[in-house]
Amino acid sequence: MKNLNLFLIGLFAAVAFPFGALIVSSQVQLGALGRAPAEEGGPLFPPREPGLAIQGRAVYLQLGCVACHTQQVRPAGMGSDIARGWGARPSVARDYVLQSQVLIGDHRFGPDLANVGARLTEAQLHEHLRAPSSVVAGSAMPAYEYLYQPKANGWAPTDRAVALVAYLKSLRQDYASPEAKLKQ
Amino acid sequence: MSQESSHQRPDFGRETALRGPFVFFFVAALVWLLAASALGLIAALKLWMPSFLNCEWLTYGRVTVVQKNLFIYGWATNALLAVNLWLLSRLTSFEFRNGWIAVFGGLVWNATLIYGVQQIFAGFLNGFSLLEMPREVGPVLAIAFLLAGFWPVVAFARRPSGHTFAAQWYVVGASFLFPIFYLIAQLLVLWCPASGVVQALVASWFVQNLLQLWLAASALGIAYYFIPKVLERPLAGYYLATVGFWTFFLFAGWTAPATLLGSPIPVWIQSVGVVAMVMSIVPIIITAINFHGTFAQNGGWANAWNSTSLRWVALGTISFTFVGLLRAIFYTRGYSAIIRFTEFYQGLDHLLVYGFVTMVIFGAAYFILPRVTGALWPSVKLIHVHFWSVTLALIVSTLVSLYGGYQTGLDLSKGAPQMIGGGKAHVLTAAAFLLGHAAFALNALGLIFRGLTSAENRQHD
Ligand code: HEC
Repeated sequence: MKNLNLFLIGLFAAVAFPFGALIVSSQVQLGALGRAPAEEGGPLFPPREPGLAIQGRAVYLQLGCVACHTQQVRPAGMGSDIARGWGARPSVARDYVLQSQVLIGDHRFGPDLANVGARLTEAQLHEHLRAPSSVVAGSAMPAYEYLYQPKANGWAPTDRAVALVAYLKSLRQDYASPEAKLKQ
Repeated sequence: MSQESSHQRPDFGRETALRGPFVFFFVAALVWLLAASALGLIAALKLWMPSFLNCEWLTYGRVTVVQKNLFIYGWATNALLAVNLWLLSRLTSFEFRNGWIAVFGGLVWNATLIYGVQQIFAGFLNGFSLLEMPREVGPVLAIAFLLAGFWPVVAFARRPSGHTFAAQWYVVGASFLFPIFYLIAQLLVLWCPASGVVQALVASWFVQNLLQLWLAASALGIAYYFIPKVLERPLAGYYLATVGFWTFFLFAGWTAPATLLGSPIPVWIQSVGVVAMVMSIVPIIITAINFHGTFAQNGGWANAWNSTSLRWVALGTISFTFVGLLRAIFYTRGYSAIIRFTEFYQGLDHLLVYGFVTMVIFGAAYFILPRVTGALWPSVKLIHVHFWSVTLALIVSTLVSLYGGYQTGLDLSKGAPQMIGGGKAHVLTAAAFLLGHAAFALNALGLIFRGLTSAENRQHD
């Protein structure tokens, strides 16, 4: 500890080694991943997000949905995600390659949303966002009423609500991937 | 509980040069502590009653993010910057003439934090824990940190004698590394995002570095200084401290993937994380020997309990040992499958950041503030209110998070619906934390005010 340079080099190594071994190596391994067809000659997955969904992703971030929802399905041995129907297969790295901001989350108050687009219809999603407790009694999710405007017989979604729901509808990992086949 | 300062007149001299910077950082820390605890109460109320204050800018997803950022970058970081400055003047004979540079850095740091928080409330936030502030904030904070927090490294380089202490290694290590991993994380998550899930890996690596190599390492430095100092005896097994130090720093960065078990990252990386978490037991055992071994000799625990400052440090080191053991046990595959994404792991983080780091900072503050200001604590009652409300709140909230998180995990694995609201318990503990912090802030501000006015009087004499 008496030699400052050696001391600082040691400290630096403490940060640099794990960085190189864990992060640089996975960037090398995963950075080259691209889209892949689910079957020979079929369309490529994950599909490109429609423009409206990209706007919706921004709304998802703005409203802090990440604080309560994840977007990752763990494999069968690691928790009950698949058993409870949150996905037909575990999430794989390839599912995220098109996302500039990955919102996989690290806490769950509510369900995982990686496949919510395959699970719920647009109307159900709007209803859930505007008044969660009308869908699930006593829901802990806050009502996002400010995304809706009252009209004669009900509610009209604002542009942000339309974009957010387009984003949620785009969330689906229900295609086969070279790393994870769908269960028959 | 005796006030150490009452029978020993604070020493002036070197400490007067520190008074300005120390008081500046500490007052900033107090303001953020109060703000974060108020937001913590609001967030707990919102989870319990989702319709509470339900408007867009105060939506749960923003309040909880601001609360966490303010607690770490506002309270803990400002307070550690203050304490680190003081420690370096004590540990080296460094004459701190450039206080204004540190204060300038502190002004930039806190102004940037205000900007970042205001942006989050306005809806400009990112999706990774503790990296949520908009990306323009990162580089400015890093520069501000260099101005305000790099002094321990400078003092270390300029120290006249060859001898160094464990307290110094930790403080120098923490101050040297924070800007490095902070900038790398900003770069790879927000400026030139790494590919897909690699971002999640970078973010978790950052969080583990931040918690362990900045917050916990600084607090370890404080503990290594105060325990022998206040007990007036050498540390037990001090010769082990070097090994403890290096193993702590060398393992910390590898532990991150253990927080991502089951995520779509390569499985071998997840396994490395688990191994590192388990190996982190080594520094935990060594620090436990150093700290608890010292307390266990000649009535050390009783002495610590009777000291206004050391009782906090003692409780903090108990939390540190405890959380280290729990991390090694529960960040393994079998447990992670059950408890990941529940409040269990949040409970562990809280035990580290509050139970250890914050408790140790409180202890240091009770020791240092009277000495740098030359005043006494205005109210002993407020000291008691502070101690009992936050200690009980810490114990209850930790038990609730660990037990509740584990139960939730079990229920979920048996097919219970995924729907978790916040319990009443978290509302009560959040209120108790706020109460304790208000008592502490009131007392500390009163003391600082007294100190400043009497210092002026002395100058006029
Ligand atoms: C305070 C935490 C919280 C926040 C913030 C939150 N949610 Fe939820 N969410 C929940 C909970 C709890 C549930 C489960 C109960 C329910 O269905 O209402 C849920 C359920 C859902 C569901 C239904 C999923 C299903 O499979 O049935 C959707 C969709 C959803 N949330 C979307 C969102 C979106 C979009 C946002 C951000 C605008 C958001 N949530 C913000 C807690 C939250």
